Amino acid sequence: MVSESNLERLLTDGQFVVCGEMSPPQGADKAAILKKCDYFRNVVDAVNLTDNQTAIVRMSSVMSSVFALEGGVEPIMQITCRDRNRLAQQSDILGAYAAGVRNVLCLTGDYMTFGNHPDAKGVFDLDSVQLIHTVADMNEGRFLCGEEMKTPPRMFIGGAANPFAEPFDLRIMRLGKKIHAGMRFVQTQPVFDFPRFDRWIKAVRDEGYDREAYILAGVMPVKSVKALDYMRESVPGMSIDDEYIDRMKSADDPKEEGVRICVETIKRLKETPGVSGVHIMPVMWESITPRIVEESGLLPRPAGGQPE
Amino acid sequence: MSKLTEGLAGFVLKHPALHKCALLAENIIKKPVFRCQDCGQCVLSYNGYTCPMRCPKQIRNGPCGGTRANGHCEVYPERKCIWWLINERSKKLGMQGKLRKYHIPVDRRLEHTSAWMNVFAGKILPISLHRDLTKKELGELKEK
Repeated sequence: MVSESNLERLLTDGQFVVCGEMSPPQGADKAAILKKCDYFRNVVDAVNLTDNQTAIVRMSSVMSSVFALEGGVEPIMQITCRDRNRLAQQSDILGAYAAGVRNVLCLTGDYMTFGNHPDAKGVFDLDSVQLIHTVADMNEGRFLCGEEMKTPPRMFIGGAANPFAEPFDLRIMRLGKKIHAGMRFVQTQPVFDFPRFDRWIKAVRDEGYDREAYILAGVMPVKSVKALDYMRESVPGMSIDDEYIDRMKSADDPKEEGVRICVETIKRLKETPGVSGVHIMPVMWESITPRIVEESGLLPRPAGGQPE
Repeated sequence: MSKLTEGLAGFVLKHPALHKCALLAENIIKKPVFRCQDCGQCVLSYNGYTCPMRCPKQIRNGPCGGTRANGHCEVYPERKCIWWLINERSKKLGMQGKLRKYHIPVDRRLEHTSAWMNVFAGKILPISLHRDLTKKELGELKEK
């Protein structure tokens, strides 16, 4: 164990963990974050705070993570390579750690043209694997340039993996690269295609990667068949099984069906060897999280160390 | 690399006219054949002779999570994902093992300079993780 992250402690203890995710507000609204914290406190073990997700401007993930701490929720600060160069990324890590943030999720970031400033310049100074390596180096007391620092952070380092995108063999190879660079936990894209996920997790187990990093499988409650169709058509690298489309289409109450599918998925993932937890991504539907965790039989959550 | 080639390459890099000639010679091949993006620190030989800097996100440790089911790029749906191409060509050339290699961040000072001269002048760092480097190599890294 390297950090004071509660998430890490639970994973080390062998608990099946539950993460949530919230989008910071598109405005200077701290109260919005505190309100969303009410849906997550004592319901999940840690919550992702996204970093300008889908390249749409929102409150910074650093400050949102700090507000989440105030709201009694352990944050997982997302940090992308799209908007900041290696200097800014390292200074954000230092600041966030000093403020009490203990988990960081390193991502490349969605391309600018998907968001609301398609005319922006993308930075992409580092890629996500290099960013993971950078944070791992900082944990050991070194900046990326090799210079040493007096008071290093001790972050629990995460990254992403997409089991559903092509080419399959590179997905496994890149996961290994990230682990070698210092990644300790992985969050995946939402699972809507079990045959593909099972194939991926088997390959992960065969390589032994599930013992080197904790695999947290993504799940997403959806409100309508439209949301699934949108993901299938417009989110590259996503795979949706026809079964779910049919179920959502023929459901009398699509919202209820969405919850049912999500709960079923979590229960199945819990039984899947190699999976150490789930990451619930209720996009714009954070309020449903407590119900999903409860119906999945994952409440109460193990008592954690209080977020500092 | 011998002291002589190192000195020669260093000399070329210091003199704009010579450097221009070296760049021209390099680009005549690399631009049309590999669509070289001029990063000045070539990794073609690791990646099935396909340049990862052509990726819109310039990911040297790719691919990103957005490769489409048909192997196309998430940003430019009409193009193939560079990493999809890298994988295909590496397989054909029997070089897939090289894809496991970790690539250090790009040295932005070397952009638009001759990668060949940079290699001869010893300006390219070993491609590995800091913690895998020896103390001496780390020191050299700091100096550069």
